[in-house]
Amino acid sequence: MLSIMSFIDILHLALRNLRQAKLRAVLTTMGVVVGVAVIVTMVSFGLGLQGNMLARFKALDLFSEIRVFGRSLGNMAATTKDRGAGRSNEPSERRQGRLRPDNSPTRILDDTAVAEIAKIPGVAYVEPHISFAVYVRSNGRVSTQFASGVAVPNSSSRFQEFVAGKMISLPNTDEIVISERFAKDFGYENFPDAVGKTVELLAPLDEKKADKDEQSSADQEPANFFGIPLDDQAPDEASPEGLVTQTFRIAGVLKTEVREGPGQGGLRGLLPTSDIYLPLRTARAWTLEHRSPMGQVALELARGSGALGDSDTEGYDSAVVRVLDPVALTDVRKRIADLGFGSFSIVDELEQLRTVFLILDSVLALLGGISLLVASFGIANTMIMSILERTREIGIMKAIGAEDREIKLIFFVEAAVIGLTGGVIGTLLAWAIDGIANRLAYRFILKPQGASYVDFFSLPPYLSLGAILFAVVISILAALYPAARAARIDPVKALRHD
Amino acid sequence: MSILEAREVSKIYPMGTTNVTALDKVSLAVGEGQFVAIQGTSGSGKSTLLNMLGGLDHPTTGEVFFSSKPLGPLTKKEMARYRRYSVGMIFQGFNLITTMTAQENVGLALAFAGLRGGQRRKRADELLDRVGLADRLNHRPSELSGGEQQRVAIARALANRPKVLLADEPTGNLDSTRAHELLGLLREMVTKDALTILMVTHDHELATSFADRIVLMKDGRVVNGSDG
Ligand SMILES: Nc1ncnc2c1ncn2[C@@H]1O[C@H](COP(=O)(O)OP(=O)(O)O)[C@@H](O)[C@H]1O
Ligand SMILES: [Mg+2]
Repeated sequence: MLSIMSFIDILHLALRNLRQAKLRAVLTTMGVVVGVAVIVTMVSFGLGLQGNMLARFKALDLFSEIRVFGRSLGNMAATTKDRGAGRSNEPSERRQGRLRPDNSPTRILDDTAVAEIAKIPGVAYVEPHISFAVYVRSNGRVSTQFASGVAVPNSSSRFQEFVAGKMISLPNTDEIVISERFAKDFGYENFPDAVGKTVELLAPLDEKKADKDEQSSADQEPANFFGIPLDDQAPDEASPEGLVTQTFRIAGVLKTEVREGPGQGGLRGLLPTSDIYLPLRTARAWTLEHRSPMGQVALELARGSGALGDSDTEGYDSAVVRVLDPVALTDVRKRIADLGFGSFSIVDELEQLRTVFLILDSVLALLGGISLLVASFGIANTMIMSILERTREIGIMKAIGAEDREIKLIFFVEAAVIGLTGGVIGTLLAWAIDGIANRLAYRFILKPQGASYVDFFSLPPYLSLGAILFAVVISILAALYPAARAARIDPVKALRHD
Repeated sequence: MSILEAREVSKIYPMGTTNVTALDKVSLAVGEGQFVAIQGTSGSGKSTLLNMLGGLDHPTTGEVFFSSKPLGPLTKKEMARYRRYSVGMIFQGFNLITTMTAQENVGLALAFAGLRGGQRRKRADELLDRVGLADRLNHRPSELSGGEQQRVAIARALANRPKVLLADEPTGNLDSTRAHELLGLLREMVTKDALTILMVTHDHELATSFADRIVLMKDGRVVNGSDG
């Protein structure tokens, strides 16, 4: 025979005690319910915020891309700290914030370097970045636009979705893809209307007489090229205005923004966006042919100072490196730095972001913790009241052979039952609050803006279980003093017949 | 040989600046199978002595022996075991748990000894049958007469087969007929089941008719400890 009271019997006694003061037990439990609901709602909101952010970065390819920077022409040309060169004026750069490399590059990012980087294990592809401002004519309208070179074929997610048409078919065609904005700006009513239409890039006959407008935007555009074969360049035509034009055909209209899922509203990848994408080599040739006066000056200075050989090219301003597995990103970056290039990855920002979220989550949990602390006082109060009422009963139990340990256990189990019940109901309540808040946010904020449903909260099992466990532990801690006091009851006094 | 013995037991309660001597070097030995009655005026220390013997309290000086073993060195846990297995106690006010049925009250004592489920119920029913309450198993104290409640208390006190029953004025709340019936039951338990009983009572008539021996107490001392 086991001479120890079974847990079932202790549980029975504890439940019986709770039943005897039902209202009090319910009110005490309510305190725990509120405390746990606050904790879980708060923390699930913090986690949700974090999760949504990470999912967004992931959906936008930001975890698998590294932006690599080579030594720029401006850097080589200027002998004092150059504030103009290297500053980006592209709209998407401004939107994404300035992407600064971690260390200043010592090497020129040319085709050899691109090939070297492409050989680093874990690299899926390297896409050099060329971007320039240019006057464009299409559908009878003219305006300045930003154009970028794009590798063809291209596997990055940015070039997977089109609202009309398709991707540029071959690296050497005169096809381009345009953004939705471009299509709208140039008066194409429907996106499919734009497909197949022509776009003319305009340049002066003699680039040294480039007009002022182009100069002001192009002088801040260091991505220029020099000294590469021009064999695949389309023939320029002289226009009636005395300008050189190069004609392209619109192959497709890009679905510029992510409209569905966690990435909605964002731009994809680290590559700056443009409104016109033309094949990389064509873009290269264009920048070489129609170099801006500022770019020309920088090139001459760089060559003069000996930083650049007389026949050397200045290389690409930057390139986007896509890794096969985001886990390998840090290693790849190290290899890139070893090669003498600067790089930027969103992961850098992520570390800071993690710290911010840790603080946010802690503050939110603390707020919840305080409400649970208040609830624990309720538990202690209930227990002490119960002891006062049950003094004789406890005396009887001791007189018939209950050990102190068993008396204490009854109280701990009582508290644990309150904590467990409150914890479970509180978690369910938080779950309901999350759901309602999500629905309200969708109905009144997201839907009117045309956005799709977003779950603002993250309620992982460990949070629910952790909160319940926490509630139980806090409850038991609250019962520590009352239980000790119950065990100290003097049976002689408790049983005195008055 | 005595089963329960108090040797030079004193109990002094500090009351403000003065001390109240509830027991003054009381020595008393109870032989196995005896039915001893303790008589004395109110405040003479009878309950205090019983509580010492029942292991509910410690003497200020002196020692209590059970089967020749001193209780003084026992730990709190061992004292709890002593109360559970070695002695049973009943009181004038019954001290049943009012929210539990007769069966549950007896069962509680068995539960502390680790008895479970059906076994526990069976033993509780046996005990209640022994005190003549086979048809009152599921009655709560409020649904039972004083005599019946005290019988439930006896069944509970004897649940874990102690050798000694300590009874503090068990008939104090009973009329004379019920008191006689109850003491008849206790007497029978001493005779038939070889139980040892130490009972405090006011009633000299009851003491003389049922006890083997009467101990007289006065002002915390045993006045006469002779065999009756
Ligand atoms: N806890 C206590 N504190 C102070 N005095 C007490 C206490 N318990 C008992 N006494 C005193 O000890 C004496 C003996 O009490 P008790 O044993 O209850 O007497 P009886 O049971 O014979 O009526 C009384 O004078 C009583 O007032
Ligand atoms: Mg008394």
